[in-house]
Amino acid sequence: MGYTFTLRTIYPYLGELGHAAWLTLSLSLLSIGLSLIVGAGVAVLRRSRSRLLRALGTAYVEVMRNTPLLVILYIIYFAGPGLGLRLSSFAAAVIGLSLNSAGYMAEILRAGLIAISAGQFEAADAQGFSRLQTFRYIIFPQVFRTIYAPLGNQIIAVILASSLASAVAVDEVTAWMQTTGSTSFRFFETFVVAAIVYLVLCQLVNLGRLALGRLLFRQGESLR
Amino acid sequence: MNPDWLSYGPLMLRAAGLTLWLSWLAMLIGALGGTGIAFLRTSRFRGLRLLALLYTEFFRSVPILIVMFFCYFGVPLVFGFDVSSFAAATIALALHASSTMSEVVRAGIESVGRGQWEAAQAAGMDRVQVMRYIVGPQAIRVVLPPSVGVFITTLKESSLASIIGFIELTKTGLLVRESTDGGLVPLLALAALYFIINYAISLVGGRLERRFHIGSRSDLVGAMG
Amino acid sequence: MSPVLTLDGVVKRFGARTILDGISMDVSPGEIVCFVGPSGTGKSTLLRCVNGLEALQGGRIIFEGRNVHESARSIADVRKRVGMIFQHFNLYPHLTALENVMLAPVIVHKEAKPAVEERARALFDKVRLSHRINAYPAQLSGGEQQRVAIARALAANPHLLMFDEPTSALDPETVGDVLAVMRDLAEEGRTMLVVTHEIRFAVDVGTRMVFMDQGKIVEDSDPKEMLANARTDRARQFLSSIRG
Repeated sequence: MGYTFTLRTIYPYLGELGHAAWLTLSLSLLSIGLSLIVGAGVAVLRRSRSRLLRALGTAYVEVMRNTPLLVILYIIYFAGPGLGLRLSSFAAAVIGLSLNSAGYMAEILRAGLIAISAGQFEAADAQGFSRLQTFRYIIFPQVFRTIYAPLGNQIIAVILASSLASAVAVDEVTAWMQTTGSTSFRFFETFVVAAIVYLVLCQLVNLGRLALGRLLFRQGESLR
Repeated sequence: MNPDWLSYGPLMLRAAGLTLWLSWLAMLIGALGGTGIAFLRTSRFRGLRLLALLYTEFFRSVPILIVMFFCYFGVPLVFGFDVSSFAAATIALALHASSTMSEVVRAGIESVGRGQWEAAQAAGMDRVQVMRYIVGPQAIRVVLPPSVGVFITTLKESSLASIIGFIELTKTGLLVRESTDGGLVPLLALAALYFIINYAISLVGGRLERRFHIGSRSDLVGAMG
Repeated sequence: MSPVLTLDGVVKRFGARTILDGISMDVSPGEIVCFVGPSGTGKSTLLRCVNGLEALQGGRIIFEGRNVHESARSIADVRKRVGMIFQHFNLYPHLTALENVMLAPVIVHKEAKPAVEERARALFDKVRLSHRINAYPAQLSGGEQQRVAIARALAANPHLLMFDEPTSALDPETVGDVLAVMRDLAEEGRTMLVVTHEIRFAVDVGTRMVFMDQGKIVEDSDPKEMLANARTDRARQFLSSIRG
């Protein structure tokens, strides 16, 4: 075997890795935020009294769940110029990632809402809370607790999915691995380094949500 | 000038078949591997348990794309033998599927109550027999519905094989697009094909869930691919 | 004395079904009105119409001189002065018992926290749950939860208390605790509307029993009177079947 794992060989490329990691991070954060907003909208659609709106919401979720993210990215990337928009690859990637993730966010939020019993709304109404107050003090805290775990998983999923942006010319970490690997022929080292970056990001999210959870949630052990 | 889209139909369908074949193979290997990892996870030896845990944690924390890149570009360089894009894709997909499946199988085994084990062992069966005749069959009923979800995820992830040059459905769609002067129709047809295939499979999964009275798709969270 | 509450020809429909078919009655201050009757005859719906949880298809409800359903504003005002206790408690699970009681006075009535807390603690004394103020609903038994719910309703200084089958979801052992609290409230001179199957309570504590059937008030008189000498057949049948 003529290959020795030597990390030193890719030191010159670590500078670019910094920029790539930043792209991965910003890509992920933007997409998480946007997909939460769009997902919330879709979740509301699915609880609408109008059959058409409910069907639209369901269709959205099903499309995103069953179509590969790569195909969605290609469609947005290539559709941009057709629609007259000059979409940068980064923008196309964010849009694609967000729209896809929104489908999953909608399901997570819907599960959280369904878990709230109707009686909560009634008690809040009877006590005179306005819609906004009801949502802020009574509904949101409960929904948040229910969706906390799946939300954390979805955040990790988005970070990993951001790797597909490399296919539409975004120079994030996966693209760095490819480029650096092909120029230096040190694919093992670049793979290990890229893997470490993603591992660190995911573990940070895990630690973060554990810590936050301990801070926020103290509902006590159930009697029953 | 409107190209004759329908003429590409058979080509796309054949490519869809290839995608299904790739996904199916990866899924099979992944399911077998996952079952093995699940056994390691519940082994009596701490070392094996740790190994299995690291394995699953690793593949849940890295994107499948970099694994695929490594399999295709890295392995020939490091180990000296050539890897076809098909093989690289299959291996990468199988590795990821096995990590998810190990959790599914583990949950399936654990879903069978202790009482079953105890009753069977009290009747004189050894561990292998208990697994084969009592716990296994029951666990499979729990494992089947979420496995459908894993299969759908693998199918979506198979589209990544196009990036390393394997000519499956996505790559075919891109090639059709190139030879028809660009445009959205091939891409939309791609999306439609994937959607139809996956939606149909998920309906089967839904029916399985209802028959076995178990809930929730295991691809509910993100597995984007 | 002018009535606290007047129902005038109240009609409530759910789709094609008429749940309340022209209900008219007055409630004077200090009355303890117990609504009894077969399930599904609109008793709970009646309470829910009083505080606007349900809209009317006909008639009016006047609370302290104000038409309840006149506007969103009037409904909001009524809800500040009417307390409701539900069959399934409906405590907010993410808040402690104390926080449950304090939330509405602080957020809806915009009162100062220290004053509200003082009042809340006094209420916990009253319902005999001072030792549980920092517990979460999941840690409380059904009877304890319902007593917290009562304290929660009282915290807003209501002029009318409505109880919708308050003990129907409770274990028999804890029913007594809740009824004891309700008896105390009655003795304070509060005005209470109670939908219940506890005929014993209605007779001992209630000042008035209203028997409803198929969306109409069939009989309305003194509880002891009705139990001994119901004027209508349906009331008599129902009451004897309950006593079993």
